[in-house]
Amino acid sequence: MEKQKQYRIGTEEQQAYLRDYNFPPKGYGFLEPGVVTPDSNDFVAFQVAKSFYQVYPEVFNLAYIEKKTGIKKAEIKKRLSKMYRDHEIMLVYNPAVSIMGWGLYYWIVKLKKTATKEEREELTKWFQDNDQICTGYMMEEGGDFDYFNGNHMRNLDNLIAGVLDKFRNKDYIEYVHLCPIRRCVRESHVNQFDSRKDYRRYCWSEEQKKNVLKFQKKMDKDDFAIIDAINNTKSIGDMFDYDVLAKLSGLDAAEMKQNLCRVVDKEKSMLPMIYFNYRAIGLKMHFFAVTLFQNTPTFRAEQILDELCEEEAFENIFDIGDAHHNYVLSAYEDITDIDAIRKKILSYGEVTEVLEATSPRQFRRWTCRLDEQNGYWEECVFTDDVLLDRTTEKEGK
Amino acid sequence: MKIEKARPYVVKNLKYALNPSSIAVVGASRYPTKVGNKVIYELVKWGYKGKIYPVNPRADEVLGFKAYHTLRDIKDPVDLVFVAVPAHLVRSIVEDAVSIKAKMMVIATSAFKEIGRGELQNDITEYCRKNELPLIGPNLVGMGSPYQHFNCGFIPYLPVPGPVAMISQSGANLLAALGTSQMSHFGMSFFVGLGNKADVDFSEFIEYANEDPNTKCLAIYIEGLDSPEAFVDSCRKVSKPIVVIKVGRSKIGVKAAFAHTASENPNSDAYYDKIIKDAGAIRATTWQEFLDVSLALGNQPALNGDNIVMITNGGGAGLLSCDHFERLGLSLHELKEISPMLEQRIRAYMPMFGSPLNPVDISGTASVIQYKGAFQQAFRDPNVHGVLGAICPTAVTDVLGTAKAAIEVYDSCKELGKPFIMICQGGEECREAIMLLRDHGIPAYPTAEQAVNAMVALYRYGTRKK
Repeated sequence: MEKQKQYRIGTEEQQAYLRDYNFPPKGYGFLEPGVVTPDSNDFVAFQVAKSFYQVYPEVFNLAYIEKKTGIKKAEIKKRLSKMYRDHEIMLVYNPAVSIMGWGLYYWIVKLKKTATKEEREELTKWFQDNDQICTGYMMEEGGDFDYFNGNHMRNLDNLIAGVLDKFRNKDYIEYVHLCPIRRCVRESHVNQFDSRKDYRRYCWSEEQKKNVLKFQKKMDKDDFAIIDAINNTKSIGDMFDYDVLAKLSGLDAAEMKQNLCRVVDKEKSMLPMIYFNYRAIGLKMHFFAVTLFQNTPTFRAEQILDELCEEEAFENIFDIGDAHHNYVLSAYEDITDIDAIRKKILSYGEVTEVLEATSPRQFRRWTCRLDEQNGYWEECVFTDDVLLDRTTEKEGK
Repeated sequence: MKIEKARPYVVKNLKYALNPSSIAVVGASRYPTKVGNKVIYELVKWGYKGKIYPVNPRADEVLGFKAYHTLRDIKDPVDLVFVAVPAHLVRSIVEDAVSIKAKMMVIATSAFKEIGRGELQNDITEYCRKNELPLIGPNLVGMGSPYQHFNCGFIPYLPVPGPVAMISQSGANLLAALGTSQMSHFGMSFFVGLGNKADVDFSEFIEYANEDPNTKCLAIYIEGLDSPEAFVDSCRKVSKPIVVIKVGRSKIGVKAAFAHTASENPNSDAYYDKIIKDAGAIRATTWQEFLDVSLALGNQPALNGDNIVMITNGGGAGLLSCDHFERLGLSLHELKEISPMLEQRIRAYMPMFGSPLNPVDISGTASVIQYKGAFQQAFRDPNVHGVLGAICPTAVTDVLGTAKAAIEVYDSCKELGKPFIMICQGGEECREAIMLLRDHGIPAYPTAEQAVNAMVALYRYGTRKK
């Protein structure tokens, strides 16, 4: 009898349409073959590292970093501790939203010109504190839009009723544009699951690498080199010191490593990385919300995006479907030639509009709170809507 | 893991699990929705007066307390380390706890042996044993004592103070018992969830409870016994009644017990029946019976003979009771057989159509005075070993007045050492009467069968004591 196909992600049996762009399988669900949950034994190496790196930076592969950077192990440890203490870095992971059974929805918010300072502050606080919003950026006043937030949801109605309807009808809101993510290509500098090539590559342009050292003095070349070495390991097997993880946890080093390599390198279900907190060193993020003519064919829209992905200065690259906008891209304003980037985007005849705004502050980074000013640095709040029906929620109920 | 006998250093240190001067909560979150935050919140809410040290590598403050990044950063002595972090962090935390010379370790975390990580659980246990750091858990809900205002774990409320020590492998059932305590005035001295009981075993808590001045009865919920010899040995040392409920009898229940608390049940139920018998404990078969019997044994003396007198204003309650007594092998005797004089004396408290048989039916018109007199006569008769009262709420029955009269008689006859149990079957006024009676140490129940179960347990305890 022929062996029954499992359609497991990362195998020859994987659905054909997943090979190119990893579009979500039809019908979200946790039972997609190969899906690994964050508390799974298969992902435990990351969880051990995540729980200990604050105190034990040696969970990272110091020997590998030393080899790559030439910095001595003791110095690497010291620098990792300092960068964590100063809230410049955080160890995080991204789940492959397209196969985890979630939709990843962002939205752009534009306030009316008449919105008062108090109204702006009220909304900012609401976004910051709302656990139904797992990520988000606040923009400076005067840009083309004021917020770019997001959440992973399994149910679009829940997003509308549970989050958007709670604020979008306020008098001071000009509009809210929903941005369902078709491809998560790059996030926090790291090429994601839907990148056509160089999966897990940690991207900074040469110009940015040079300018960031002039722009500030909190982090130096060696600090950036350490982050680069950790994030740019070819295999996740090199990111951590599994013997240290084993000593701390009592679990088997080889088994932890093998499982993590399978989940990250082969199946691409999860993506661990060091997040760089741009706010900590005073950088600002410049956002471009790009709209193509509506008659642009999908394949062409994807080709343009793949070409834009060659630009390493982009810290975020989101491909959006079924929305006003087609892409949201971002690059650091103070250390990047923003005019050149704009020019490049506008060089495509398919582009009809580019909205721009500048963000000095990120609220959360995919469930991890960044608001140290409120005492919540690295408080990870899982904002899932599984099995909930928020459409029945009424304001004030 | 198996032990041969209760270990003295563990028994000695259990006081730090239930009355510590200082607690470190590892995994203390800043977020009110997370369990690590709740542990500290509940400690404060219920009036814990000792020192609290939240441990969280990401936080500097939790609920107004200075937070420590690791246990090693705490420079003051720590009695109890409560761990509420994922399983893969525990090994390192145990090492830190040993290094700071903590006296007791409680691991609430799940995902050890019950999901196949037996090796990790054993490794941690052996390390704790080598360093004489007693470990309770893993995979438990918490512990506490209303006498110490101590609520440590994921527990929404303390029980009302009382005589029963509740030692449970199941967190959910423990919480159910705590809820019952609040709702039904089931008083407890302390409670603890043992979870997988990797290290600290039933036997050690049994010996601790024997020394605990607030504990008069031990109520033990068992899913599996790793160390049956130690269990029997410790139970035999105890001078207080022990009630046991052992679950996992059914074919699928054996598997469920392993999935729940990694409890292995390779032997037949008859095997456990024998162990419980050898231990001198009383076995309950249902959860309700477990609670009912524990309540009685915690509050009342043993029944030292089978001369039980039942006084009721309802014939139906009497019949339900005497049938159930017989079913349980303890038939009621007629009053004239117990004490011919009592039959005569008790007639003064009933109308001519009442029945002095046994059950003594003082009729639906019985007043508070008649109840009081009948109870007093029964208690004072030297041939009577125990009294069972029943109130049925007729239109003329003063239910609460009767309950108060029962309390008065009970208080005045306490020195006689005879058990007194009440049945109040009816509506809201009966519920109120039950609570009032329980608050005064009289086990009261809404059904005849529950009350009879309780009286029979007192008899069995009396027999075993002999």
